[in-house]
Amino acid sequence: MRKFNFAWEHGVAVFLVVAIALGSGLSEFFATTDNLSFIIQDVAEIAIIALAMTYLIIAGEIDLSVASTLNLSSAAVGFSFRNGMPFEMAILVGLLVGLACGLLNGYLVTVVGLPSLAVTIGTLALFRGFAWVLLGNEPVNELPENWIVLGYENIPNTFLPWSTIPVVILALLAWVILHYTRIGRWTYAIGINAEAAKFSGIPVARMKLALFGVTGLMSGVAGVVYTLRFASASPDGAVGYELDVIAAVLFGGVAIAGGLGTLWGVLAAVLSLGVIRSAMQLLDFTGNALLIVSGALLLISVVLPRAIELVKDRRKSVTV
Amino acid sequence: MTSLIQKALRIRELPIFLFLVLVALITGVANPAFFTVAGLQDVLLGVSIVAVLAIAQTLVIVMKHIDLSVGSTIGFTAYVMGAAGSWGHSVWWGLAVSLGIGIAVGAINGFLVAYMKLPSLVVTLATLYLVKGIFNEIAGGDTITGDRVPEAVNAIGANYFFGVPYIYIIVFVLMLVVGFIMKRMRAARDLYAIGSNLSASELAGIPVARRVFLAFVATGAITGLAGVLLLARYNTADANSGVGIELYAIAACVIGGVAIAGGIGTVYGAMIGAVLLQTITSALGALGIPQFWQLAVNGTLLIAAISLDRYLSSRVKPTSIMGSHE
Repeated sequence: MRKFNFAWEHGVAVFLVVAIALGSGLSEFFATTDNLSFIIQDVAEIAIIALAMTYLIIAGEIDLSVASTLNLSSAAVGFSFRNGMPFEMAILVGLLVGLACGLLNGYLVTVVGLPSLAVTIGTLALFRGFAWVLLGNEPVNELPENWIVLGYENIPNTFLPWSTIPVVILALLAWVILHYTRIGRWTYAIGINAEAAKFSGIPVARMKLALFGVTGLMSGVAGVVYTLRFASASPDGAVGYELDVIAAVLFGGVAIAGGLGTLWGVLAAVLSLGVIRSAMQLLDFTGNALLIVSGALLLISVVLPRAIELVKDRRKSVTV
Repeated sequence: MTSLIQKALRIRELPIFLFLVLVALITGVANPAFFTVAGLQDVLLGVSIVAVLAIAQTLVIVMKHIDLSVGSTIGFTAYVMGAAGSWGHSVWWGLAVSLGIGIAVGAINGFLVAYMKLPSLVVTLATLYLVKGIFNEIAGGDTITGDRVPEAVNAIGANYFFGVPYIYIIVFVLMLVVGFIMKRMRAARDLYAIGSNLSASELAGIPVARRVFLAFVATGAITGLAGVLLLARYNTADANSGVGIELYAIAACVIGGVAIAGGIGTVYGAMIGAVLLQTITSALGALGIPQFWQLAVNGTLLIAAISLDRYLSSRVKPTSIMGSHE
């Protein structure tokens, strides 16, 4: 299983290359700098949250409330700004709200001892509910011009959107920590066997609390990016993003049972989905076709490894 | 007498039921319109669709599984039922195809979870996307309007039997049937065993894969039926029908004491959970609280319910203090 999993991420990488090649071959507009810029912008929020979700799922937990956290953090930015706070401070408030949301999830899971699936279905409703309470029916659309240009313009003299900066920095950070530090190894250890991890001296509860907190914070960062991209904070933004994030993480080779997966697999998966989305839009496919493709990829990402395993098992039992 | 009280106190759904009564009483006192026939009919109509999905969901959650795909399936079958007429088919065709779609989705989920041994969360997340994609490809921008809803379906949604909406009667009977089966029939009892201890169930000779498969098929079939009820209730369906309703169904189950950890819970609890969610929605309106608060209240309720459950179950061990008084 473990051995195969390495091959899975290579598969995703190959898939990404094939998708890019096909996109370039089928549409003259695909391999343009404009389109690349669009793809990066399109996946930025999902990518940022997926980085943290990778840790969480590897550690054997899940957070369904991330899209609501993103949205609440965006609403908090808008609300603070509308009530006279400087925009820089409003962004800080947004990030802190994200962190607080994550810590609340973490508290309920690690201290109260509730299953994360149930908790985060609850907070999914709760956080979005708070966004409604904060903003009511009035989205905040008047944001300072010098900030919202960051949402739609590229970094000067490049074709990269500004959101590339947080994505790249956070991705590098997440990659190094997960694969080259003690915290990363602890994350895997907890996912493989939390009980054993505890007895070998890993502060399991504190780690999980921190992972939920970071997931909330990353959702907050994504919330700020989202607010700038759409130049608006509304209570009904980013609905359903949580499923897109989880689908990308799982397609990237992270096992839902925990303990398995790599960060670059997830990044390749996020990019693949963005590339496919863009290529299909350019080729005039409907959003429905994209849903079908996302579902199929997700299904393949669990069915294929299992099918190979079953075939191997059968072969083994035949020779015995 | 005492033993009867003690027995009643051990009913898992009791705290949440009492809470429901409390919420209803407060709302009724604050706004007498709540306890009128029309007010109660509103609650029953409002609760029906989430309740029927919660009943279906109970079957899989007690096995420590989950089915996220119901949100797409219910929208799909509601649309198909509505479009049957304009495609030149009868109501019966619509009903059969709706049930068929539900069963097919359930069978795919069931096969992948039971026989391929894949995690149900991932499988049903994937089928949520797949079914939604296929559904929207077929529906496109088409909206089923009232004049296209078959008369028989419309009648289910519009009529009352001694003041009780037909839809709710159907859902209530379904609850009683599924509740009876889950209590009395061995195959359904096995679902609880599978959810409490999978490997022990296998060792005890329970045909786990077959049971899991059939439970998913049953969930799919009920969801197919729910689509017909959704059309009857709202008299309209389009590509967005049913979006996100899976989370409400799961929330109703969890609030009603169906444990996500598997092995515990009843369809009666799921019904109480659904009624409570709906009552609170009505209560907010009746108490003049802005509707913006609704989601936040629902979320708080869900978290409070599982926290309370956790608190109670960690105190009331199998040899409980209550038991030693005998």
